[in-house]
Amino acid sequence: MRSFVARRAGMLVVALLVSSFVVFASLDLAPGDPLSTLSGGRTLPPEAVAQLRAQYHLDDPFLERYVHWLGNVVLHGDLGTSIAFRESVTSVIGARIGTTIDLVLYAALLIVVFGIGLGVLAGLRRGPVDSSIVAITTVFAAVPSFVAAIVLLSVFSVNLGWFPALGGGDGGMDTIKHLTLPAIALALSAMAIVVRVTRVAVRTELGREHVETAVSRGIPYLQVVRRHVLRNAAIPVTTVVGITITSLIALSAVVERAFSLDGLGAALVQAALSKDFAVVQGIALVFVAAFVVANAIVDVLYAFLDPRVAIGSRAA
Amino acid sequence: MSRVLVPATAAAALAALAVSGCGKAAPSTATGGTTNGAAAPTANTQLPATTPAATGDVAKITWATYREVGTLDPIQAFDYPENTVDTALCDALVKQQPDGTLAAGLSALPEHPDDKTTVFKLQDGAKFSDGQPVTAADVVYSLKRAADPKSGGFYPQVFARVASIAATDDHTVTLKLKQPDFWLDGELSQMAGIIYEKAYAEKQGKKFGTPGGGIVCAGPYKVGSWKAGAQLTLVKNDNYWGPDKPKVGQIDFKGVPDESSLTTGLITGGIDGSYPQALSALDQLRSNPKVTVSEGPSFAMDALVISSLKGVLGDVRVRQALSMAIDRKAYIQTVYKGGAQLPRTLANPGSWGYGREVFAADWAKLPEPTQDVAKAKQLVQEAGATGKTLTLGMTSEVSNLNSAANALRTAGEAIGLKVKFKAVSAQNFINFFTDPKAREGVDGFPTVNYPDYADPAAFYNTFVSADGTQNYSGFSDQRITELMSQARETGDADARAKLVAEAGDRIMQQLPWIPMAAPSNVLITSSKITGAPASFAYMGGPWANLIGSK
Repeated sequence: MRSFVARRAGMLVVALLVSSFVVFASLDLAPGDPLSTLSGGRTLPPEAVAQLRAQYHLDDPFLERYVHWLGNVVLHGDLGTSIAFRESVTSVIGARIGTTIDLVLYAALLIVVFGIGLGVLAGLRRGPVDSSIVAITTVFAAVPSFVAAIVLLSVFSVNLGWFPALGGGDGGMDTIKHLTLPAIALALSAMAIVVRVTRVAVRTELGREHVETAVSRGIPYLQVVRRHVLRNAAIPVTTVVGITITSLIALSAVVERAFSLDGLGAALVQAALSKDFAVVQGIALVFVAAFVVANAIVDVLYAFLDPRVAIGSRAA
Repeated sequence: MSRVLVPATAAAALAALAVSGCGKAAPSTATGGTTNGAAAPTANTQLPATTPAATGDVAKITWATYREVGTLDPIQAFDYPENTVDTALCDALVKQQPDGTLAAGLSALPEHPDDKTTVFKLQDGAKFSDGQPVTAADVVYSLKRAADPKSGGFYPQVFARVASIAATDDHTVTLKLKQPDFWLDGELSQMAGIIYEKAYAEKQGKKFGTPGGGIVCAGPYKVGSWKAGAQLTLVKNDNYWGPDKPKVGQIDFKGVPDESSLTTGLITGGIDGSYPQALSALDQLRSNPKVTVSEGPSFAMDALVISSLKGVLGDVRVRQALSMAIDRKAYIQTVYKGGAQLPRTLANPGSWGYGREVFAADWAKLPEPTQDVAKAKQLVQEAGATGKTLTLGMTSEVSNLNSAANALRTAGEAIGLKVKFKAVSAQNFINFFTDPKAREGVDGFPTVNYPDYADPAAFYNTFVSADGTQNYSGFSDQRITELMSQARETGDADARAKLVAEAGDRIMQQLPWIPMAAPSNVLITSSKITGAPASFAYMGGPWANLIGSK
């Protein structure tokens, strides 16, 4: 276990380092000037420009800026200052991370509960239940989250008025109410995929010899399902759930924009477009870290679900 | 002082965001809605600058800007979100009224004992939101900070002719000028003339204006709470000294970059109001009883920037021919759904903040631009430009810029020019304004542009004067230069307007830029509230304290 944690921590550091360099470099190559965010394209007095460029080290060579930034992160834990918000990146992230965490957790919950639940139901119940679930999920799997967002908004917010159209709410039930539509929009297509994978996994396990034998020996059906079908089907399902949930972190940007949520994803898009280096770096690092950690959790789950799998190695 | 606008559209939500991220959002009516019959602006009508006055209090409203507010520091406010918030938080020395005229603000209207002296006498009872009186020291501090390029602000040019700023007593500040400058009064009615508390600003140092530092001003609202890059809450300033006490208890400012979110928010009541920069769903909102859409005078002008006189547009006859060949009526119908006037000058009638009768008479005298392809063709032939190439910078990702470029292409081809597009992404469009390399080989590109206060001269100056911030082509006309510099030194408003109007006439002949349309300003609010100015003045003058219930 200890070596697993150490290996994962090492991976995390390498991933952060590589991604920070890639992000920094690609942002550097992208067109545009971060100062145009501030100046709006008007020709500024040269003194003001010089002042701002010096303040944000914009004229230093690329590598020097990267090393400077990295040094501050490593030595002082300082992620830098946002040009657009004139505030430390840490506080920009701090102000927004809660919304994204809530949103992703809510969506993950929907995926786990409905994705696996409906998948198991479809797998066990052949006939109309199964076929209607398959038909519906086929449609849902093909709906990207930004389309889902528009449809949900128009139906449940504009026409029915059941849910608010934007904002993250003021905490508690209000937040849940505000995040319901975004979470559904975010979870929908991933949920549909989880349903389908779960269904196939359950079907496969149902057709296995040991399951048929168990059923023929008269072991109660529910017990067979629980012990032999679900437990074995859990491995591929965990893989898919893990992958889809980690992908939610990145997808959240789209949904946050559509619902005007003050989350990290929306901030990332805005910052990337205005070339606000420090913010892009900071949020990208948070995302990468979340990704690596989520993967590590999935790996731990494998070992827990299947004792034959040593911790940290991939399940077959 | 004027700014570049790059209108955004739904079709390119991200692209639009990028462009606006560059600081230049769209004109309010980029994809405007139909104006209902009677309100259709004619040549010399001014749209109403106000909406029906508010009568009652409202506990809380949510106001949308196209992105989150970045700073509260007025000297760094240069775009819609920051200006909108700063005008709610802070009073300036001179007040920009909804109709664009200037009135007493924190100071009485400036006195000019001689041409090179401007005196501001502070109003009795003017105090900051923390209850401290506004003193001459605060004024001197704020103005000097705005004038100093080292502060990192965007307004030092405003003070180009100012030799000294000093307090003559506790309530009086005197500006000594190197040369007479009667544009200064108007300039100090907007961001450059906003006064904040010196002690507070000094205490905050570098954090001043940021979420961690905030600001203490003398406006109708004060900062309630602000999380970096997230929602900004303003609360009523109970100490407000001015005449129009705020009626709304709390205003939440929310950045809503996505156009469909804005529309949905307005319809569902999640957003109570906005001065939208571009909204293709305006027609949909117009017909919705829950919201009220108002159109008012705007300072903005939709025009073709002529960025090079070395090419085919170097000949004034070709510029005139191109202007003559544009089908402006169709363009206004397509892009503004009628919510714009045919431009007789390069200044929007909404920007006549003084000498209005003079400007109106000038406007009435000028012909309405009409399309005359045959005559235009002849002009091109006379200039020997037939078959020559006109290169336009454009982006097809922002719908009204795309429409403008295509209208110009149609016009150019009709008069015998070859028209080539240099198409870039929406994000890169801003480079035409900022990067000489991007402008290389480009004869012109479309824009929507506006001055910071209601004065045609403030707008003209950016592209006709030698040091104009947007004079990319190096345009120079002796007569125009004379008239402009005379105007700047003329104290009497009507006399000044006469000079500016004459310069405007000559500008329409010389066409350093070619006007496309004079759009209206758009305000959308929940039908429960009223009072906000319908005009563009919210960018420089108080607006939020006028809002209340019906």
